[in-house]
Amino acid sequence: MRARVFYRTLLGLGIAYLFVPVLVVVAFSFNDFKGRRNVSWEGFTLRHWADPFKLPGLSEAVLNSLTIAFLSALISTIVGTLIALALVRYRFRGRATTNLLLFLPMASPEVVMGSALLTLFVATHVGRGYVTVLLAHILFNLSYAVVTVRARIVGFDRHLEEAAMDLYANEWETFRRVTFPMIMPGVLAAFMLAFALSFDDFVITNFNSGSMQTFPIFVYGATKRGVPPQVNVLGTMIFGVMVIAMGIFLFIQNRRQKARD
Amino acid sequence: MTQGPDSTAGASTPAVELVGLTKAFGDIVAVDGLTLDISENLFFAIIGPSGCGKTTTLRMIGGFEEPTSGTIRLHGEDVTGTKPYQRPVNTVFQSYALFPHLTIYENVAFGLRRQGIEKSEVNRRVGEMLDLVHLAETSRRKPRQLSGGQRQRVALARALVNHPRLLLLDEPLGALDLKLRKEMQLELKRIQQEVGITFIHVTHDQEEAMTMADSIAVMRDGKIERMGEPVEIYDDPRTRFVAGFLGASNLMEGQITGSDSVTLTGGHRFHVSADKLVGLAGAVHVGVRPEKIHLSPEGASPAHANRLAGVVTDSSFIGVSTHYLVQTELVGELTVVVQNLGVTRFAPSDSVTLSWDPDHTFVVAR
Repeated sequence: MRARVFYRTLLGLGIAYLFVPVLVVVAFSFNDFKGRRNVSWEGFTLRHWADPFKLPGLSEAVLNSLTIAFLSALISTIVGTLIALALVRYRFRGRATTNLLLFLPMASPEVVMGSALLTLFVATHVGRGYVTVLLAHILFNLSYAVVTVRARIVGFDRHLEEAAMDLYANEWETFRRVTFPMIMPGVLAAFMLAFALSFDDFVITNFNSGSMQTFPIFVYGATKRGVPPQVNVLGTMIFGVMVIAMGIFLFIQNRRQKARD
Repeated sequence: MTQGPDSTAGASTPAVELVGLTKAFGDIVAVDGLTLDISENLFFAIIGPSGCGKTTTLRMIGGFEEPTSGTIRLHGEDVTGTKPYQRPVNTVFQSYALFPHLTIYENVAFGLRRQGIEKSEVNRRVGEMLDLVHLAETSRRKPRQLSGGQRQRVALARALVNHPRLLLLDEPLGALDLKLRKEMQLELKRIQQEVGITFIHVTHDQEEAMTMADSIAVMRDGKIERMGEPVEIYDDPRTRFVAGFLGASNLMEGQITGSDSVTLTGGHRFHVSADKLVGLAGAVHVGVRPEKIHLSPEGASPAHANRLAGVVTDSSFIGVSTHYLVQTELVGELTVVVQNLGVTRFAPSDSVTLSWDPDHTFVVAR
C-alpha cells in the first residue's frame, strides 16, 4: 500500500516535470499582462488569440518553418527509403563508407554541422536563405530517415518479393503492391520524425538562414525584447495539433489491434 | 504470362529441360553442370542433404537465380535469363511467403489480377480454388489468423489458381508437424492428380519424396547422383551415398568375382542379379535393406540363397515390426527388421541364419 502511494507520487512528479513547462506556455497565452514582459499572471484574456499573426514577420516565419519541415521531410524520406533499401539489399563498393557517413550527421554536434555548412556556403558564394536552410535540413533528416526505414526493411522476408514476381508482378508492381505497403509504417515514422526535427531546429538553421526567419529563429529573436504572447498562442496551437495527431494515431492503432484479434 | 509459341510441339516435349546448368556463388559451385529432363504431368522430387544444390536448382527454374551457365527450357521454350513473372511457372515457398497485409482472398487473387483477368473470372477462380483446399470460409481473414496447415494450403491455392503448367514446391511441408505433414502429403498428391500438372518438389525428407513422387532425383554436391522411380532407386541405389540417404542399408565390403556374384572380403560369396553389376568392377559394397533379410533359427533350412550366420545381440519391439541387431563373424553387426506376423521371435544370444533373395541384393561402388 505504502509502496503504491510512493510509486504514484513518483509517477505524478515525473509527469509534472514533463508537462508543467507546457502548461505554463499555454496559460500565459491567456495572460492579460500590461507591461512589456509576459512573466507574471495578471488576469485572463482571449485578446492574444484573436489575432495571433498580428506580429510582423511571425506568420511568415511559421509558414517558412512549415514548408521547410514538409519539403525536407518529404525529400529526405523518399531518398532515405531508397538508400535504406540499397543498404539492406545489396552488397556494393562503398557500402560501409555510406553507413559511416550516414551516422556522422547524427553523431556530430549541431554547432559543428551548422558552422561547417556555413563555411561551405560562404566558400562557394551561395547566398544564405530559404534554399540553404532546406538543404541543411534535408542533410540531417536523411540520416534519421535512413535509420528509421532501415529498421523496418531488415525484418522483411525477401521471399515476399519473390512470391510477388512469381505471381506475374513486375519490379514496379512488386514494389508498389508488396514492398512499399510492408515498409509503409517505417516510412511514415521517418516522415513524422523528420518533420518534427526540421520544425524545431534552431542551431543549424541559425547558421545558414541569412535574413530568412523560421519560427524558432523568430522566437529566439523576440525573446530579447520579451516574449510576445503570440508566441505562446502559436506554441499552444502546435502542441494542440500534436496532441490531436497522436490521438488519431493511437485510435487507428487501437482499432487495427482489435480487428486483428 | 508467356505461353511458348512452340508449346504445341507435342506430348514428347518435356516439361522441363535443364542442359549443363551450373550455378556458382563465388568459389562455391552449388549446381554443377546439371542435365535433366522432366516429362509432363510427373510428380518429380529432388532430394538431398542441405547444401546439395536442390533448392538452387529449383530457384533457377523459377527464375529467382540466374544460372552461371547452361540452359533452362520449359515446354521446349528457352527461358534462361527471363524474369520470374515471364515464366509460366508458380512456386510454393518454404516460408509460404503469404502477403501479410492482404486477405486470404487477395493473396489468392494476386496472380490473376496481375495478369489482368476480368473481375468476375477472378472471383470465380479464387472461389473454386479456396473450395479445393477447403478454405472458403477464411477468405476475409489475414494470413496471421490462420494455422500453419491452413497457410500452407493458401500458398498452394495462390500458386495453382493461375493454372501453371509447372508447379515448384520448395520444402512446402517442412514447417508442419508430423501428423499434418502426412495429411498434406496425401492431399498434395491428390491435387496433383486432379489438376494434372507437373510438380517439382524439393525436400530433404526421403520418406516424403518416396510417398509422393513418380520419379526422384537424389542430388549431392551439385550433381544428380541417382535418378529413377522410388522403388527402382530404393532397390538399386548404385552409390553408397544414395543407399545411405534413401532408407537404411547394411553394407558389406566385397569384390566382384563373376557376372552375377560378389565375394566378401572374408571369402563368402553372394549372388546378385547381373543387371545390378552393370558398370561396376573390382572393390564394392554389397548391400541389403534391413527389412529384406529373413531370420531363421540355426539349423533350419534358410528361405533364400544369400546366407550368413550370426548371433542376435539386441531385439526391440516397435509395434509393426521388431528390430534386431545381429552380430556376424564375417561382416560385423547387421540390422534386421522383421514384421510381427506372430512367427518365431528371437532373443539376444540366439544363434540365427540370415538369408535374403539375390534380387534384393544390391551393389554400390566402394
